[in-house]
Amino acid sequence: MHTQRRITPFVFLAPAVLVLAVVGIYPLIFAAWVSLHTYLLAQPNIPHDFVWLSNYLTVLKDGSFWGAIGRTLLYLGVSLPIQIALGLGIAMLLRRGPWGRLRGFARVALVIPLAMTPVVTGLIGRLMFNQDFGVVNFALNSVTGQTVGTEWLGNPNLAFVTILLMEIWQWTPFAALIFLSGLTAVPVEVEEAATLETRSFWAMLRHIQLPFLLPALTAILILRTADILKQFDMVYTLTSGGPGSSTELINLYITRIGLRGAFDQGVASAQAILMLVLTTVLSRMYIRYLYRGDNA
Amino acid sequence: MTTHSTSAAAVPRTADQLAVQRARRSSRVKAALHGFGLLVVLFGTLFPFLWMVSTSLKTTNQIFSKPPLLLFTGTLEHYRTILGEQYNVGGSLVNSLIVATTATVLAVLLGTPAAYALARFDFRRKDDLWFWFISNRFMSPVVIILPVYLLASQLRLIGHPGLLIAMYLTFSIPVVVWICTDQFRSIPRELDEAAMVDGASPGFIFLRIALPLALPGVVVSSILSFIFSWNELLFALFLTRGDGVTSPVRATNFLSGYDVPWGAIMATGTLIVLPVVIFSLLVSRHLVQGLTMGAIK
Amino acid sequence: MKRTALALSAAVTALLGAQAHAQSWSLAAAAAPYKGTTVSAIFLDRPGYKAAAALIPQFEKETGIKINFEVVPYESTNQRYVLDFTSGGGADLVLSDVVWIGQFADAGWMVPLDKFFKDPKLADPALNLKGFFPVLLNSFGTWNNKVYGLPFDNYSGLMYYNKCSLKAAGFSGPPKTWDELLKVYGPKLTGGGKYAFALQSRRGETQSADSFMRTLWLAGGSLIDPKTFQPTLGSAASQRGLKFRQDLMKYMPPGVVDMDHNEVVNAFNQGTVPIITEWSAFYPTITDPKQSKIGLNCLGVTTEPLGSAGLKPALGGFSLGVNSNSDAKKQAAAYLFIQWITAEKNAKAYVQAGGVSGRQAVYKDPAIRAKYLYVDPMVKSWSAGTAVPAFRPRFAEWPQISQIVAENGTKIMLGQLSTVAGAKTIDDQVRAILTKAGYYSGKKLKLQ
Repeated sequence: MHTQRRITPFVFLAPAVLVLAVVGIYPLIFAAWVSLHTYLLAQPNIPHDFVWLSNYLTVLKDGSFWGAIGRTLLYLGVSLPIQIALGLGIAMLLRRGPWGRLRGFARVALVIPLAMTPVVTGLIGRLMFNQDFGVVNFALNSVTGQTVGTEWLGNPNLAFVTILLMEIWQWTPFAALIFLSGLTAVPVEVEEAATLETRSFWAMLRHIQLPFLLPALTAILILRTADILKQFDMVYTLTSGGPGSSTELINLYITRIGLRGAFDQGVASAQAILMLVLTTVLSRMYIRYLYRGDNA
Repeated sequence: MTTHSTSAAAVPRTADQLAVQRARRSSRVKAALHGFGLLVVLFGTLFPFLWMVSTSLKTTNQIFSKPPLLLFTGTLEHYRTILGEQYNVGGSLVNSLIVATTATVLAVLLGTPAAYALARFDFRRKDDLWFWFISNRFMSPVVIILPVYLLASQLRLIGHPGLLIAMYLTFSIPVVVWICTDQFRSIPRELDEAAMVDGASPGFIFLRIALPLALPGVVVSSILSFIFSWNELLFALFLTRGDGVTSPVRATNFLSGYDVPWGAIMATGTLIVLPVVIFSLLVSRHLVQGLTMGAIK
Repeated sequence: MKRTALALSAAVTALLGAQAHAQSWSLAAAAAPYKGTTVSAIFLDRPGYKAAAALIPQFEKETGIKINFEVVPYESTNQRYVLDFTSGGGADLVLSDVVWIGQFADAGWMVPLDKFFKDPKLADPALNLKGFFPVLLNSFGTWNNKVYGLPFDNYSGLMYYNKCSLKAAGFSGPPKTWDELLKVYGPKLTGGGKYAFALQSRRGETQSADSFMRTLWLAGGSLIDPKTFQPTLGSAASQRGLKFRQDLMKYMPPGVVDMDHNEVVNAFNQGTVPIITEWSAFYPTITDPKQSKIGLNCLGVTTEPLGSAGLKPALGGFSLGVNSNSDAKKQAAAYLFIQWITAEKNAKAYVQAGGVSGRQAVYKDPAIRAKYLYVDPMVKSWSAGTAVPAFRPRFAEWPQISQIVAENGTKIMLGQLSTVAGAKTIDDQVRAILTKAGYYSGKKLKLQ
């Protein structure tokens, strides 16, 4: 009985652990090995020599790599606060008040962007922001009364704005719905009692709702940060990183070096390992913070 | 919000009356603004989706029309085109369905026992193990795709649907473990213990007692892992070939060439998105709960 | 005496044999052993492939070999091939861009065609390799003196111009030199939402070949020194070319850095841009009334403008070869198709279906020359002395270098890098790549 109790959890855990180890860990070990070697996929005649840390040095000296990292952090730093602010606003609008049916519709509609295949989001962006016949430029023309013909995808800064806009469109609903579920947890009595004290929106937000919103905010921060650092699909179809490299986020850059052009697996693996270190540190910090003591 | 401006036309009355009038007016303005805000949200959320669907139903000339057409008589020509032999979007949707379903089923089969063990048993380094499961959710697929591509190409596995399914387990198992661990924890331990006293084996307890009670968690996590697998591009882009590509990969194939067939692209987009959208709308409440991965209870 | 007789009789026998073979060879007979074989291929969404697709049923009927092609965007074709080849597969027919041949041949991914040429059962006696334009067979199909592919879908850069727009602006003809385009035509044709010229420059091979290398060559510059393989973007000539391109920017649409072939051709077709330098292969698109507003009476086609180094037109296109990963049966069937689609006797039908043949004979046909305006300037561009076989280096390292050129080339155009700084960035990386490859240490033959 005693031994059985000790063995049971391992029987339950073993299949999942084994599978994840084969598909998740073994490749990482191999990637670490590749990152220490010359490995040019497109030139199989060049031997896979051990080169110590030279691939890592190449990466550290590579301006384009740091450019892509900086761009990704900028993308994160701009889009996440906007998603949070807009999401909170939308959650407030949806929470209570008049227009019950409209609120119901809007709440259901918010699910649509979330379920949208990111590849398709990118394609829709490409259609809507087309300089020539896109509906966005049409709307701008109607508002300004002149032909603006903004070249959304041809201008480096505007292309970056475009990927931000599509990111915000797709993921603000995520923040809105999570905030909404946080707000639903605010006890009605507490809030009603507070209305007698103050009518200020901000005071309500700070003193009554905030405690219930904090876990929601943490969840949004963590999950969106993780997903934005993984962003590939939507940008791949929307701009493919262009024009120039103005929308080339880190994952697009790494795949371009490893699998889409340079085929330098050694350098790309070094980049990937550095990314892994970065995300592991971030996620460890995040999860520890989110689940403080929860699983001890 | 208090305003201090008084209307010039207002007849001076008692302070109380004034306040009531003001409050009534401001609440009407507020309600109007609220309604307007909701309309903006609704419109902003739906427009890109509706624009895709409507573009997929326009003729090529209508797509390029200036100003863009809002009303038009629809055509299904693009759907006929993409489902035909040349583009074979239908085949790719079937591939996506097979891969996403298999990955989801496997993730549930492998993930629920693990989640049960994490929730119910105590052993050394349990926290680390739990953390390791979860951290897979945060790992960028780019980190894995490079070595997996090399290994799979040496083993001549590229294009094999099993390879893609295996890769999808890297994120679907963590999703199942994460959500279901929470779910199993919320089931009273006494139930298990009572069954154990009756001499039931741990396997029996898991299958017959705990799992049925954890069904909501299992459902939510399967929906999520299905949607994640259905939508995934990066792995599929490099690991599938020819007739085996999934629908997101097929959608990227239209992008270059002399003329960009917008109608066909949007029709493809609609076919890819519509099933998951309908599916998610049906289970929207659970979906939101699941997306937070139990971060909010 | 006896020996001579023996040799003589042997020669006679050989001659008779060859003759008998020439009479008896037929495609159907050659293909008989491969009936029912399916040959896979990657095609592009360009006119030359639509033309081939139109002819394929005839081949399938005659041979019983099925050609199964998949249409792939050009930008992802090289990636597809490399990934397919390295995983031991890939399409049986290899469509090799002029700049991939070194990579594919070096890696052993393509079969030298010699083995098929020498197989009397497979080789069509009317093969006539000399019938191709020499520059095409040499640069598209040959690497290190071995033929790996036969020219298929080949392009020369040409200048397309809108006669009517030019006339309205007071010009009786197109610019003769690039300088004239910049100084005379540019200012007069730009304004009011219209631009004088558009140079396709989207990041990718379009940027590195159509935009970057084209402007290098027109000024007499080049990427590397042909003898030493040292990078030469910093040289006066190369810098002149890059600066010229920057000067031209003000007469091009502002989004030109994101324009690929289709956008540029479309801008021309819609009348927004009256002058473009594009591949000959886009002629069918430009003359298609469904896609173009430019009537034939307004369309002019001629060779590219002259640069300070004379006529240095862009050279591009493909050859068709055989995948060395495929099994022997598929290889033979693929070879039969290549031989057939590039054959002299099918060239006319191919051209009439909208393709561009690499055969010289077909363009001597007066009817063809009269009907297709692009023929004369293209033949002139491909003739000895004008075409630049090393327009882009064809060695295995080019695809990697092309990425670097494309990235930094677009940065230069966007003004994020000066021509000098950009040239230095590219030069440094090119030097590193070529060092790694072993050109400077003498480990690798300096072929381009």
